[in-house]
Amino acid sequence: MRLRPGGAVLAPALVGIAVALLALAGLEVALLAEGPAGPLWALLLFPAYALLYVGTGLLAWTRRPSNRMGALIVAGGFVWIVAGFLNTGIPALIAVGLIVSTVPLAIVVHLLHAFPSGRLRGRASRLTVFAGYFVVLVLQAPVYLVGQGAEGPTTVLQIADRHDLAHIGEWVQSIAGAAVMVATAAILFDRLRRAEPARRRVLAPLDAYGILAVLFVPIGSIVVENWFPEAGLELAIAQLTVMAGVPVAFVAAALRGGFARTEEVHELGALLNAEEGRPALRAALRQVLGDDSLDLLFRVAAPPRWVDRDGVEVELPGPSSERSVSEVRIGDRLIGAIVYDATLIADDELVAEAARVTALALDNERLTAELLAGRERLRVSRARLVEATDAERRRIARDLHDGLQTRLVLLAMLAGRPAADEETAAALSSGLQEAIVELRELVQGVVPAALTERGLCAAAVDLTDRMPIPVELDLEPLPGELPVGVETAGYFVVSEAFSNVVKHSRAGELRLSISRPNGSLRIEVVDDGVGGAHLGGGLRGLADRIDALSGRLTVESPPGGGTRILAEVPCG
Amino acid sequence: MRVVVAEDQALMREGLVLLLEQDGAEVVGRAADAPDLLRKVGAHRPDLVVADIRMPPRNADDGLQAALRIRAEHPETAVLLLSQHVQRSYATELVEQGTVAVGYLLKDRVADVASFLADVHRVAAGGCVLDPEVVATMMARPRRDDLLERLTPRQLEVLSLMAEGRSNRAIAERLTLTTKAVGRHVTHIYETLGLGLAEEDHRRVLAVVRYLSR
Repeated sequence: MRLRPGGAVLAPALVGIAVALLALAGLEVALLAEGPAGPLWALLLFPAYALLYVGTGLLAWTRRPSNRMGALIVAGGFVWIVAGFLNTGIPALIAVGLIVSTVPLAIVVHLLHAFPSGRLRGRASRLTVFAGYFVVLVLQAPVYLVGQGAEGPTTVLQIADRHDLAHIGEWVQSIAGAAVMVATAAILFDRLRRAEPARRRVLAPLDAYGILAVLFVPIGSIVVENWFPEAGLELAIAQLTVMAGVPVAFVAAALRGGFARTEEVHELGALLNAEEGRPALRAALRQVLGDDSLDLLFRVAAPPRWVDRDGVEVELPGPSSERSVSEVRIGDRLIGAIVYDATLIADDELVAEAARVTALALDNERLTAELLAGRERLRVSRARLVEATDAERRRIARDLHDGLQTRLVLLAMLAGRPAADEETAAALSSGLQEAIVELRELVQGVVPAALTERGLCAAAVDLTDRMPIPVELDLEPLPGELPVGVETAGYFVVSEAFSNVVKHSRAGELRLSISRPNGSLRIEVVDDGVGGAHLGGGLRGLADRIDALSGRLTVESPPGGGTRILAEVPCG
Repeated sequence: MRVVVAEDQALMREGLVLLLEQDGAEVVGRAADAPDLLRKVGAHRPDLVVADIRMPPRNADDGLQAALRIRAEHPETAVLLLSQHVQRSYATELVEQGTVAVGYLLKDRVADVASFLADVHRVAAGGCVLDPEVVATMMARPRRDDLLERLTPRQLEVLSLMAEGRSNRAIAERLTLTTKAVGRHVTHIYETLGLGLAEEDHRRVLAVVRYLSR
């Protein structure tokens, strides 16, 4: 079951936890008051700081039920209380306290690494936190198995009195612990240094405090042990206090905005429905979710793709990206996505909630984006059409110039020679014949005579006559005349498809069908060749041409599966 | 020989007229579009019509449609069609309606005056003339069951000339063979392609064109 903010399950559970921990702390205070060890005010710091943890933890837990920070801080409070039992006079409780006495340090390390999402990100963080728990749980063992409690009596867990071994164990533990602390400080510093400004603002208070805190513990120990050996109690109190400050720093960071408030998501709807001063959707989401890098993407159709607010096509971030994606749907229809920084907003559910609340508003913006995207596509395709026309003109000019003109100049030189004999006349005649043929072919390539004289089907038949492989024809007699533009586009679909078949497909069978369903023109060219054709080159130009006629050109060409080119053009 | 010339481009039309008149023909009418052509044929009843296929008013195959009507309504008038670009369907439609006194040539052929005038006379004399290029297109068409592959190159040449409407004698001359040898090739072609024997030249054009258009 998912715990929901203000849900019926969570609140009583948290109240239960609060009551239980308060009772436990109360018990501890009572036992400490009777116990033999140290000044009472110092001993009471344990339950006091523990309750500071519990309080901040519960606050965080209530506000952000699915963020693990709250639970982690409460757990830290619990461990602090248990560690405090070390100072009571009851052997069993002392033993338990001794076992967990250094665990609060590991929890502080864990908290610092997991902030603000509650999840550990990156190998370095995970390793360091794991090492921290290892140091406080496993390396603690010699202390209670073969040694004595720090200042206290022999524990019930002792299996041998080897003070020397215990001393070595303690030494190893403090070195390893110091390493974990220093590593933590380094990682936090690196994280802070590399963070984007928005994120750095969120991380700064806690990370800065955290770095100081984790460095203070080992450095403080070294300083005191070497220069102020009699100040052990003061050091312990100072270390405790610094550690207790971590949840306070956490609250400071949370108030600074890295920690979005669930209630505001519910206010999003009202915010976006306001008559006056309505913020842009993205700005509203950024404000409410506390991620200034948050962005909106829109899903548009024909062809299905993602575009940004300006209608420019974009890719959705992949699973390996630093960015997370929450899809936005209305019913089953995918309309957009919220792209955000998962290190800043750990709670997927919160973003999903925002996505639900803002779906209609997002759909609204999507329409604008779709319009812009359509306009962009139109602009690009128009530019390509113009370019294609220019290229065609250049080709014709080049053919005329390089071929025909050169040929005619040579013939003119031949004719201009004095004393033209029979041979010259024959050369002139055949040269002119060739020029005529060349001109005819050129004209045929620009506008085929069959198309002008006989229409699309006849011109298509004409093309099939010139194919090297048999073409199965399925030509529906076309009722009425086609608009010239449609007919010409149709002809070039057939001719481009045929020329691709000849050039690339290695097909053995080819089928052409032309029909007029519902008054539109439908041309289908299917071959059994190698496939792998795509909408580029000549086909791209054709697609633009068909597009300009409000039609559609589709190319299906799986590798090895033949090619099917389908053009549908309305003739209305 | 009384001729009507139909061609919408004035320069080409006058060139044709000049050519035919120099050859001794009498040009009784000049037409610039299909209705004009039909009118002038009705009025003059010429021996021969030389017409462009693409003509006003539709600027499509108006000339061909007019020619088909003329062949149907005035069987005594021979028709020679010219076109910018050869198209198999024009040839087949023309010969399907009758292989007597019809011809279909590329406009370019006019440039080779002697050969063009020879074709004019063959059509006027009741023969059938198809442009070599249209025949070449027909021959080159891909087929599923290509019986043409069973013919020798020489026999293919003979077949092409048959399709162009040439007689055995003309084929023999062209290929420098004896008429008898051509006859043997023709028989072999008929057997290979499974065509019924046709004695008259114009009938066999139809048979060959039908076969090639399958």
